[in-house]
Amino acid sequence: MKLQQFNSLNDLKNSYNTRLCQIVDERKAGKKLVGTFCLFVPDEIIFAAGADRIILCGGKDDTISIAEQYLPRNICPLVKSSFGSIVNKGCSGLKSCSHFGMVDMIVAENTCDSKKKMYELLRDYVPIYVIDLPQRPNSPEALKYFLGELYKLKDAMEQLTGDKVTVEQLKKEIESSNETRKLLHSLYNLRKMDPPPISGVAALKVMQKQYFLSTEEFKKFLRMLISEAKQVRANWTHKPRIMISGCPMSGGNTKVPEIIETKGGVIVAEESCTGTRSFWDPVDEGEDPMLALAERYIKIPCSCMSPNDRRIDNILELVREFEVEGVVYYTLQFCHGYNIEKYRIQQALKKAGIPMLAIETDYSDSDVEQIGLRVDAFLEMLS
Amino acid sequence: MISVGIDAGSATTKAVMVIGGQIVSYNIRSTTFDFLSASKTAYQNVLANARVDEDNVDLVYATGYGRNSITFADRTISEITAHAKGVYHLYSDVNGIIDIGGQDSKVISVNGGKVTDFLMNDKCAAGTGKFLEYTARALEVPIEELGSLALASKIPATITSMCTVFAESEAISLRARGFMKESIAAGLIESIARKVAVMARQVGLKQNVAFVGGVAKNVGIKAALEKELDISLYVPSEQQITGALGAALYGIS
Repeated sequence: MKLQQFNSLNDLKNSYNTRLCQIVDERKAGKKLVGTFCLFVPDEIIFAAGADRIILCGGKDDTISIAEQYLPRNICPLVKSSFGSIVNKGCSGLKSCSHFGMVDMIVAENTCDSKKKMYELLRDYVPIYVIDLPQRPNSPEALKYFLGELYKLKDAMEQLTGDKVTVEQLKKEIESSNETRKLLHSLYNLRKMDPPPISGVAALKVMQKQYFLSTEEFKKFLRMLISEAKQVRANWTHKPRIMISGCPMSGGNTKVPEIIETKGGVIVAEESCTGTRSFWDPVDEGEDPMLALAERYIKIPCSCMSPNDRRIDNILELVREFEVEGVVYYTLQFCHGYNIEKYRIQQALKKAGIPMLAIETDYSDSDVEQIGLRVDAFLEMLS
Repeated sequence: MISVGIDAGSATTKAVMVIGGQIVSYNIRSTTFDFLSASKTAYQNVLANARVDEDNVDLVYATGYGRNSITFADRTISEITAHAKGVYHLYSDVNGIIDIGGQDSKVISVNGGKVTDFLMNDKCAAGTGKFLEYTARALEVPIEELGSLALASKIPATITSMCTVFAESEAISLRARGFMKESIAAGLIESIARKVAVMARQVGLKQNVAFVGGVAKNVGIKAALEKELDISLYVPSEQQITGALGAALYGIS
C-alpha cells in the first residue's frame, strides 16, 4: 500500500509547517501553548482554559547524545530523545524540531521513574507542572485523589491563561474530544477488514499527529482520510494480521512497523499510547465533567499501574475484534514496566492460541537486520 | 527434484544438495567479507561433488544472515524455519533446537518440523561462538581444544561477567590468582551454557532437543548444556549444515 494513494495522508505529511505557523500566530495573539508527554494529561482541561497543547515525546535518535550529557545512558530512548530535544540549543550541529522550544509550560505526570525524574531536571529549562498519579487505579481512594489532582491542574491552567474554566467549556471540550475518539474508532473499524484499506505504517503516522495537531485540524483530517479509505479496495490478498502491543512509538519512530510491513505482514491495530489506548474509552458526557474525566483517564491501562490486568483483558479483546493472527510485543530498551508485563501477556496470549514475538529495541538502526530476521521467522511461522 | 540450500552464516557458509529427500553433497567453508562469493564457491563445490550440472538444479534456496545477498537464489527463508526443517529431517521426534553460531544463539520450539516459538540472542556476544573465540585466545588454547580442556576440570572457576570483553579480563585475572587453565575453561563454558539454558527454558524446551551450529562441535558446551538442562542432546554428525539442509528441503515442499 502506497501512502500516496490517500490525498489526506499527503496533507498530513505537510502539516508540520502549517501547525507551526498556527502556533506562532496563536502565541502572538496571547494564547498559551502547553507541552505534554502523556495520555494521562486530560487536554480537555487545557483547552477549556483557553490554551493550546502539543506533544513533546521524542521519537528521533539524533537528540539522544545531547540528553546523555545530563541523563544516565541506560534509560529509555523516548525519555532521552524528548529531553535532548527540549534542552538542545543547536549544539554539535544537531537541531531538534522547532516546536520543542515554543511551549509556555509543560504539564507532566508521574508515570514511570525515568520520566518522573527527568522532569526534575527539565525544571531548569521550562516551567513545568506535574500531575501526581495514583498507581492503584481500582481503589476508590485513587479516584478521589486523582480528581483532586485534576482540580489542581485546572487551577494551574487558569493561572497560566487568566481564564476561568467553566462547566460549559469543559463539557464542550469533552464532546469535542469524544468526537475525535469516535472518528478514530471509525478509522480502526476499517482496519478490521481483510485486507485493510490502510497500512499500519500509515495509520501510525496518523496516530503520531493526534496530539501534535490542533483537535479541529486533526478531526478534519480524519474525516477526509476515513471517507477516502472507505472507497479504497486494497490491492493485495491476505497477509498475516499483526497487532503491535507495548511502548509508544513517538513521531519519527516507525522502525519496527516498517520492517513488519516490508517483510509481508500487515499491522491491523496498535495496543499502545500511539494506538488504541489513546481513544478506546470515551468520557461520560452525562456526568459532572471533572469526575467523568478522572474516571476515564485513570483507567488507561499503562504499565505504570498495578495491578494492570485491564491491559491483558484489553489485548485479548483487541485480538478478537481485529482478528489478529500474531502479536508483536514492542518495547523500548530499559522500559521496565512494559518489559516486565511481557511475561504475563505472553502467558495470556499463549492460552488464547496467539503467537507472540517480543522485540526490544531503541531508536538506532543498528538492529534492523536482526529484527528483520525475527520478523521473517515469525511471519513464516504464521503462514 | 534437485534442490540446493545455502546457509550464508556470519562465520561459515554452508551448501547442501538434496535429491529425492537425500543429502547427496555438502560443503562448509569460511564466509569471507563477501557473502556472495563464498556462497558461489560453496554452490560450485556441491555441484562438482555430486557431478550435477547447474542447469539440472531445480531450486536454490538461501538462508542465514547473508541470505539476501545470494542473488542467484530463487527464494530466501529465515534460518529459524530452515533449522526446524533440517533438524526434523534428521530427527523426526525433535521438539526443540538449540543453535549456537558465530554471532548469535537461538532456541526454537518445534512441532512436526514447524516452528511454534523461538528466542534469539543477537545483541550481545555472550553465548555465541565469538565468546568462545575470545576466551580461547585469552587462555592461549586452540579453540578446538577448549571443550576437552574444560571437561578435564574438576572444579570449574566461576565466571560471572556476561560481557565478552569483561569475561576475557575476568579470565585473565583468574589466571593471575593462580587458577588452572582447565578450571577457567570450564567456568567460561558453564557461563555460556547457563545463558543459553535460560533461553531454552523460556521457550519451554524439555525433551528431544537437538544441538546444532558450529559451537555444537564443542564437547564441553554440549556436556555443560546437558547438565544445566538435565537432558541428553541430539547432536548430528555434521552440526553445521542443518540450516542449509532445511533450506534445500523447504524448496522441495
